[in-house]
Amino acid sequence: MSYDYLLLTIFLAIALIFPLVPLGLAWLWARTLSPAKPGHDKQATYECGLESEKPVQIQFQAHYYLYALVFLVFDVETVFLLPFAAMGFVNIPVVGFLSIMLFLLLLVESLVWAWAKGILEWK
Amino acid sequence: MNTALNLLHLLTPESILVETILVVLIAGLFKATAQKRNMLLSLTLIGGVTAGAMLIFQPHYGNIANGMAVLDPLTRFIKVVVLGLSLITAVYAVQSNIRQHFAEYLALILFTAIGMMLLAGTENLLMIFIALEMVSIPLYLLAGFLKQSSASAEASLKYFLVGGVSAAFLLFGISLIYGTTGATSLRDLAQSAPAVTRDPLFLAGLVMAIVGFGFKVAAVPFHLWAPDVYEGAPTSSAALIASGSKVAGFLILAKFLAIGLAGAAGSAASSQLQPGWLPLLAVIAAISIVVGNLAALSQSNVKRILAYSAIAQSGYMLLGLSATGGTALISVLFYVVVYALTALGAFGVVLHVEQRRGGSQLHHFEGLHQSAPGLALCMGVFMISLAGIPPLAGFFGKFYLFAGALGSASQGGNLGLLWVVAIAITFNAVSLYYYLIVLKHVFVTPATHPAEPVTRRNAATFVTGLLAVSVFAIGLYPGVLLDPLRAAAQAANRKPVTAAPVQPK
Repeated sequence: MSYDYLLLTIFLAIALIFPLVPLGLAWLWARTLSPAKPGHDKQATYECGLESEKPVQIQFQAHYYLYALVFLVFDVETVFLLPFAAMGFVNIPVVGFLSIMLFLLLLVESLVWAWAKGILEWK
Repeated sequence: MNTALNLLHLLTPESILVETILVVLIAGLFKATAQKRNMLLSLTLIGGVTAGAMLIFQPHYGNIANGMAVLDPLTRFIKVVVLGLSLITAVYAVQSNIRQHFAEYLALILFTAIGMMLLAGTENLLMIFIALEMVSIPLYLLAGFLKQSSASAEASLKYFLVGGVSAAFLLFGISLIYGTTGATSLRDLAQSAPAVTRDPLFLAGLVMAIVGFGFKVAAVPFHLWAPDVYEGAPTSSAALIASGSKVAGFLILAKFLAIGLAGAAGSAASSQLQPGWLPLLAVIAAISIVVGNLAALSQSNVKRILAYSAIAQSGYMLLGLSATGGTALISVLFYVVVYALTALGAFGVVLHVEQRRGGSQLHHFEGLHQSAPGLALCMGVFMISLAGIPPLAGFFGKFYLFAGALGSASQGGNLGLLWVVAIAITFNAVSLYYYLIVLKHVFVTPATHPAEPVTRRNAATFVTGLLAVSVFAIGLYPGVLLDPLRAAAQAANRKPVTAAPVQPK
């Protein structure tokens, strides 16, 4: 039992050392080897790019996320349909065929639903 | 492929609900008319009642993939209950102020119902987690369904963040339990858990899992989301959170502890304390009862009063769970079902007042007995039942619960849990104060609001009345609910433990 706790203690110690040592090294490095020289270019948002022309804190429409969600659904669908196509239409048992058809029905209905709700129109 | 067909066979009611969702969503796309909401509701109810009928005529026992999906009389009983509670919520939704995307609202209620039914019908840790998420995610959406209301958005976000954290706790706990015992099925877990009860990793997993469940059932100290969610969410959503998800959550917590971890129970008896989940549960129960009842005293919003009352009631239910053996499980389930019916009814009255008077503060309830005498009477029944006064159902729930806790044999002889029961009974007296304050506003305080038209009867008030009648009837004849539960639990215990697929009647 005490052996278990010993393992846990070692685990905890390693879990602490692992992130703290690199952080400490980086801090030492910054402290000793790289003196701070702030300047106009260095403080710019994009140190090695063009100056931004317009305010960068613009709002994204919530609509964008709906669009992305629908895209995600139909993107992931491919993963399920690929084995179906790869097996050919011949070697699939009846239950498998029915379940993939059910899956397609769900997809079609979700597409119809999204279309009718106006999610596919870019406003 | 036999497994797939067996699975479909076992989950026919859930499949019917999925089809209902598809139909409701498509029907919701047609042009909006005045009758559309009622039409959508009837579709939902037809699908739900069909699923319920299928549930009743299913084979008695089933067990697929080592407890992933199980069916026994007790499971079936709880499935029927949660389905019924969800359908009542759907009836409430028609009267609520949800104007946009009504079909989607009904669909989300049905999704929650499916999640709760899967949750009731599983004995596998992985499936428990997935089903719990299937309940939670639609509930987050239901809580935030009033997009224009910032309170609703706040409720949804709080519920989502807390729910996400609790899911992480639960999953981590499950993974530790799996890591130390090598089992995800509760029956296998029961075999291998006694060997590792002193393993610190296992105990850490146990505590984390209980923390995760504690968030779901809103027990102190994991309760802080409840008042804001109950207050901000649309009332019909809050009703579902308070009733259905509570029944399913407590059933699965009871199964997890009583079936899977019976060997790691420990003892909470004041004379012989032993580590395990019992002392943990007893302490959580005690502080839930104290904090919930005390915090409810200072609320001025009836929904918040109901939320803190729900926290306190969670404490009573956890107390019931910490009394193992004998009839303890039945008394907890009796209590949970009665509580769900009562809370759902109380939310029905709140819904009515909110629609008529624009709010759910205590002063909105003033003089309700003049404008809606029937509903006022119902509110009286619900509040007095929640407070546990005979002859209503809540009294018998508490009676069986306390009797079970006091007589629990595994607690080192009689009266081992006396300290928690004493706290519970003391604070039950405290709770009477805030329940009666609500009734005082309903019956005694004269109305300060302008007179309103006499209430027209509608489906929601009818259902609320029905709930009040059932709470009254269960109070007069507890056997109405207790006998089926007892028979179901006995039949469930007799079931063959072999992992046989669906067996015909």
